[in-house]
Amino acid sequence: MPSNTASSSSAPAGSSKSKRPKYSKFTQQELPACKPILTPGWVILTFLVISVIFIPLGVVSLFASQDVVEIVDRYDNDCVPTPARANKVAYIQGGSDKSCNRTLVVPKKMKQPIYVYYQLENFYQNHRRYVKSRSDSQLRSVKDENQIDACKPEDDVNGKPIVPCGLIAWSLFNDTYALSKNNQPLTVNKRGIAWKSDREHKFGKNVFPKNFQEGNITGGGRLDANKSLSEQEDLIVWMRTAALPTFRKLYGKIESDLEKGDTIHVTLLNNYNTYSFDGKKKLVLSTTSWLGGKNDFLGIAYLTVGGICFFLALVFTIMYLVKPRRLGDPTYLSWNRVPGGGR
Amino acid sequence: MVRSSSLNGDSSASHRRTPSRTVTLGHIQPQAPSCRTVYCNDRDSNMPVRFKGNSISTTKYNVFTFLPKGLFEQFRRIANIYFLGISCLSLTPISPVSPITNVAPLSMVLLVSLIKEAFEDWSQDPPVSQLLNPSMDNLVQKRFQNDMSINNSTVEILQGQQWVPIPWRKLQVGDIVKIKQDAFFPADILFLSSTNPDGICYVETANLDGETNLKIRKALERTWDYLVPEKASEFKGEIQCEQPNNSLYTFTGNLVVQKQTLPLSPDQLLLRGCSLRNTEYIVGAVVFTGHETKVMMNAMNAPSKRSTLEKKLDKLIITIFCVLLTMCLIGAIGCSIVTDREDLYLGLQKSDWEYHNRLAIGFFTFFTLITLFSSIIPISLYVSIEMIKFIQSTQFINRDLNMYHAETNTPALARTSNLNEELGQVEYIFSDKTGTLTRNLMEFFKCSIGGISYGCGVTEIERGIAQRNGLKVHEEERSTGAIREKGFNFDDPRLMRGAWRNEPDPDLCKELFRCLAICHTVLPEGDESPEKIVYQAASPDEAALVTAAKNFGFFFYRRTPTTVYVRESHVEKMGKIQDVAYEILNVLEFNSTRKRQSVVCRYPDGRLVLYCKGADNVIFERLADGMDDVRKVTREHLEHFGSSGLRTLCLAYRDLDPETYNSWNEKFIQAKSALRDREKKLDEVFACNLINNDMKQFIISSETDAIREAEERGDQVEIARVIKEEVKKELRKSLEEAQLYMHTVAGPKLALVIDGKCLMYALDPSLRVTLLSLSLNCTSVVCCRVSPLQKAQVTSLVRKGAKKITLSIGDGANDVSMIQAAHVGIGISGMEGMQAVMASDFAIAQFRFLTDLLLVHGRWSYLRICKVVMYFFYKNLTFTLTQFWFTFRTGFSGQRFYDDWFQSLYNVFFTALPVIVLGLFEKDVSASLSKRYPELYREGIRNSFFKWRVVAVWATSAVYQSLVCYLFVTTSSFGAINSSGKIFGLWDVSTLVFTCLVIAVNVRILLMSNSITRWHYITVGGSILAWLVFAFVYCGITTSRDRNENVYFVIYVLMSTFYFYFTLLLIPAVSLLGDFIYQWVERWFYPYDYQIVQEIHRHESDASKADHLEIENELTPQEARSYAISQLPRELSKHTGFAFDSPGYESFFASQLGVYAPQKAWDVARRASMRSRPKVPKK
Repeated sequence: MPSNTASSSSAPAGSSKSKRPKYSKFTQQELPACKPILTPGWVILTFLVISVIFIPLGVVSLFASQDVVEIVDRYDNDCVPTPARANKVAYIQGGSDKSCNRTLVVPKKMKQPIYVYYQLENFYQNHRRYVKSRSDSQLRSVKDENQIDACKPEDDVNGKPIVPCGLIAWSLFNDTYALSKNNQPLTVNKRGIAWKSDREHKFGKNVFPKNFQEGNITGGGRLDANKSLSEQEDLIVWMRTAALPTFRKLYGKIESDLEKGDTIHVTLLNNYNTYSFDGKKKLVLSTTSWLGGKNDFLGIAYLTVGGICFFLALVFTIMYLVKPRRLGDPTYLSWNRVPGGGR
Repeated sequence: MVRSSSLNGDSSASHRRTPSRTVTLGHIQPQAPSCRTVYCNDRDSNMPVRFKGNSISTTKYNVFTFLPKGLFEQFRRIANIYFLGISCLSLTPISPVSPITNVAPLSMVLLVSLIKEAFEDWSQDPPVSQLLNPSMDNLVQKRFQNDMSINNSTVEILQGQQWVPIPWRKLQVGDIVKIKQDAFFPADILFLSSTNPDGICYVETANLDGETNLKIRKALERTWDYLVPEKASEFKGEIQCEQPNNSLYTFTGNLVVQKQTLPLSPDQLLLRGCSLRNTEYIVGAVVFTGHETKVMMNAMNAPSKRSTLEKKLDKLIITIFCVLLTMCLIGAIGCSIVTDREDLYLGLQKSDWEYHNRLAIGFFTFFTLITLFSSIIPISLYVSIEMIKFIQSTQFINRDLNMYHAETNTPALARTSNLNEELGQVEYIFSDKTGTLTRNLMEFFKCSIGGISYGCGVTEIERGIAQRNGLKVHEEERSTGAIREKGFNFDDPRLMRGAWRNEPDPDLCKELFRCLAICHTVLPEGDESPEKIVYQAASPDEAALVTAAKNFGFFFYRRTPTTVYVRESHVEKMGKIQDVAYEILNVLEFNSTRKRQSVVCRYPDGRLVLYCKGADNVIFERLADGMDDVRKVTREHLEHFGSSGLRTLCLAYRDLDPETYNSWNEKFIQAKSALRDREKKLDEVFACNLINNDMKQFIISSETDAIREAEERGDQVEIARVIKEEVKKELRKSLEEAQLYMHTVAGPKLALVIDGKCLMYALDPSLRVTLLSLSLNCTSVVCCRVSPLQKAQVTSLVRKGAKKITLSIGDGANDVSMIQAAHVGIGISGMEGMQAVMASDFAIAQFRFLTDLLLVHGRWSYLRICKVVMYFFYKNLTFTLTQFWFTFRTGFSGQRFYDDWFQSLYNVFFTALPVIVLGLFEKDVSASLSKRYPELYREGIRNSFFKWRVVAVWATSAVYQSLVCYLFVTTSSFGAINSSGKIFGLWDVSTLVFTCLVIAVNVRILLMSNSITRWHYITVGGSILAWLVFAFVYCGITTSRDRNENVYFVIYVLMSTFYFYFTLLLIPAVSLLGDFIYQWVERWFYPYDYQIVQEIHRHESDASKADHLEIENELTPQEARSYAISQLPRELSKHTGFAFDSPGYESFFASQLGVYAPQKAWDVARRASMRSRPKVPKK
């Protein structure tokens, strides 16, 4: 305890000095504050405001989603010839012809650009072992091509570094699609399918593939050793690893409209091995809206939340009218509820 | 204590010391087998021994020790150790996260903690430095600077043949020093000579033990001459004494002067920290310096108590840890099942261990996941709570103007910041009545001399009784010029201004006044004039009595060890003044066993008189036979005074003839003569809170026939047995009755009154349970005349037996044990010295400030800490659960969802500040409403805000919110997310989830706040903004270092899409909607009390509320007090209100329970040392 240790007489100097704390709103805990109380009025108002905002947003995004036309075609099973279906893995690893023909019918008019995706399922591109198996510095600049520590087990071949190294690049998706409408080939534009930032900053313009897919096992697609990585957009797209084991990746875009009822022939090369882990492969053609692809979820969520809020506002209003609780009713105080107030 | 006449046998000296219960504190000093030999005035001879210097440092750390020592302190916390372990784990390849994830928050927390430590060390004022230099009354002296200025203050030492001033720090053992009046002793000094005759000096020890009365120290007669430098330089003594130790009241040693060995005792030792009084100067030899002085060896802070809430918090942490382990176990099992050796793209080779052993996969995955989910343990929780509590105690409690007492210039003081929230949960209050409730304002109010009652004042209680009976009290007009000063509130024309000489028995009056003036241990200070003199008394009643004597014309103005000087007026005839010197032959000081104090003095004319004052029963027993009528009338007066709420004391004298006196020197004899009593006013302010009108009282006392019979037989064992039986019977009976009342709904409130003697038996292990359950059935329990030890026993009985939170409040030395036994100890920084304050956790100037401390600060602190803890729990759980859900979709591989830096900064940066603001500014209802609705305090007692139910609600909220954040984003971001058909990758999705999470979690603070200041907005907005700014910068840079630039450009990619903004609105809104609905339903159907109070006063602003309350409490303190007293029950039993209490049962209990009974209960640090020491074994 500070200076009132000494009696008044023994410390005359001490007593003259006031120890009165200085007033401040902070120390007296009197800072101006807003004290919101959830009164029925406020609660109902909040719910109404939310529903008023959310329902239109839901409608808008649902409309956007409804505009999108999407064709999905699963081909992993059908593209294996019937005799080989008993052992698909052997088929896909064998040397036989992998080409396969699919026919798609356009259900609705699709305006250009129409995006071509491949969709893989049960493919854990987000597996820890997989995600970390890459070297960003190697991808960006030539001088870092020896930074391959993270890339195991696909880091080098006979001591020479692989560019691009790692499991991700190694397992590059290599099915190809050739589309045609009424025997007229549809051009699939494969430029500009990757995010610009990836293309320009993460993959070097002067980095070229080296020693790629020259190991014992071939994991997937090969790369043109004469094209720099920043031009290999398939690789760039592939290497932006997906968040979930079911994912889509952009393959290319068709820059012409498709009419309703158009038949589209797809000639695809079924090279990619998803059979060893029961992965599914799908081909997707889709248009987009300003909000992106087919995405009913967002609209439904907005509508549901808005609807629930409206409903709750209604329920609470009715409840308030039917069985009101007076605000600040002292009978609700615990010491008034229990007779005698307890001990 | 033990005084050894010779220290030749070293081992025997130390051996002898052990059995005696010295006052030892803190760590036990290694007892060097040797004694210390000091050659006085001979620096060269002392050289080889290398005594420590006199410079001191009270800082906890210095520049070099700060880092290692500070870090060591930090790693004593389990959470920090845990994170250290996790950080080490994350250095290994099994970690999915880079070490930065765990190292960054850990180092941040350590950094903040260390900065706080350093700040406290630099600026706080520990008790020690005040002990050492109280002359600097700056409240917050910088510790370091304080040390510096102490070390540099000057003292005069003998060099050659003259006094030379040197700084304190250069002082060495063996130096001869001269200390002037009012100066502090720079070291422990052996007292050689003084300017006072008889080689005595007066010291003030207030800084050591808080006792404000002056103590006398006496030099050995052999050394009295060494006063002037010429003589002192000849002094060549050799001091052989004990090694430095922390026992303040012992000192053994010998002084060898000229081949002559003189024994030394504590009487010759002047301790550092004390100051010299009433003595021109003294000369002494330095014995102990610097950190070896007794006060420095005693230096320690109050022992820290942990709050109950914090202990519950530990349980919560353990639960969280279990949740963590469960999560990891689920993941590990999942991983060992799911990991598919055919997953070609994982590149698993037959040679890899992962290919074969599922058990090993599970095992390693388990540790992988522990590092991944480590964020579930709120690492910054403890440091945040500490900061909040620190600010609460230093800024809010210490600076509350409502708790500042202007008269004594004392603000409240939180001596520890650990217990703030404990104040909000107190269920049982143990209060000392004497001095605490009564504030110890002693006034001489009434007296009865030789059977005639004097004094025309009317006490509060009398007024209250009269008021209740509907009588109008006529305030008697005070005679003009009635003297009223501190300690004196007496007026009666029959006695004042010498009028007593016309009373029936003026000689008796004269003797009474002389007794008042002589029989005491007061020391006068200052000018020897009636107006300016200041009395130094150990207790306020002593001062009041001497003041009374002064006003009756017996002015005590000077004291020497053997003489008391009294200036007597009106003795022989009006207007005559004469100075009389009474030689004091014996003083028998007051103690609680004897309950009386006696002085034998010799008048200048040789008359020998014994003056005695003490408790009525003690004095009555010793009165001479005869004068039965006076005795009877006096007892009636006593009872009347007692029932008026006055404290009483009886005075008696006896003339002694020299023969009797000489024989008396051997033994104590009974006194005879007439008897008088005098009163002190009892300021009964708060007693009304203790006993209400409609209470049924159980009074358990030992006065039964059986006991009397036993007493007559004089069989001690029999008495004890009978009393015990009796108490047992009474207790059982009362308990049955009490329980009967408990079952009836509108039964009266119960009170138990038990006296110390019965308590002694009731506290017997076999009866304890009964006593406890009876006490718990009563609204109040009054224990009268109990010893300090019993106070502590009752407190710990309730604390341990009822498992409820207890608070003790007291002001005096006898309350120390009680204060320390309770969960929260409050000291009144008032009249009775510092002992209670030094032992307490909080110190307040007035009992009434307890209202503010508990109802306002305690309640708020509890509420705030609960909310902070819950919020921490919630935010970490929410964050970690998103990670956990993600794990399910990665094949349990332990892939991290968030970037390392996001995860590491989440706790310490993006969500850290709003919660601190919440912990500082949260208020459910305003301070005035808190006091107006004291029932709100029950929410703390019931622990409404920190129940497992509350935890479950928060956990549900966390699960819900994490699911919303995770599922909504992952579901909706599956397809193309902009018009150019691009797809999000893993890091885009996780960054989006993280953004939603940061917003939701921060806005949640606003939703849970009852009082939103601008700081809330600033910190919540600031945190979200900080995240965005961080994201912009972090996503925009590339480094040449080899790292995975996963999140490069991610935020820009996100912000280029409409989708981003749509989810950003949707997800936080949906997350918080659930909590919002819950809060609303809870408030509407199951409202908390505070919520109803909020609603009742929803239209009032704070200021108007305060005014409103002001008007309502328009009663002046006087009126309020009268009203309160009028509410008291009528006086039923007769009591005489003896002023002192504390019967000495300690030793009885000590032997019974094997508890060491404190000889001086006030010793601050002893308790601490007792605590660390194992219990004294039973004998």
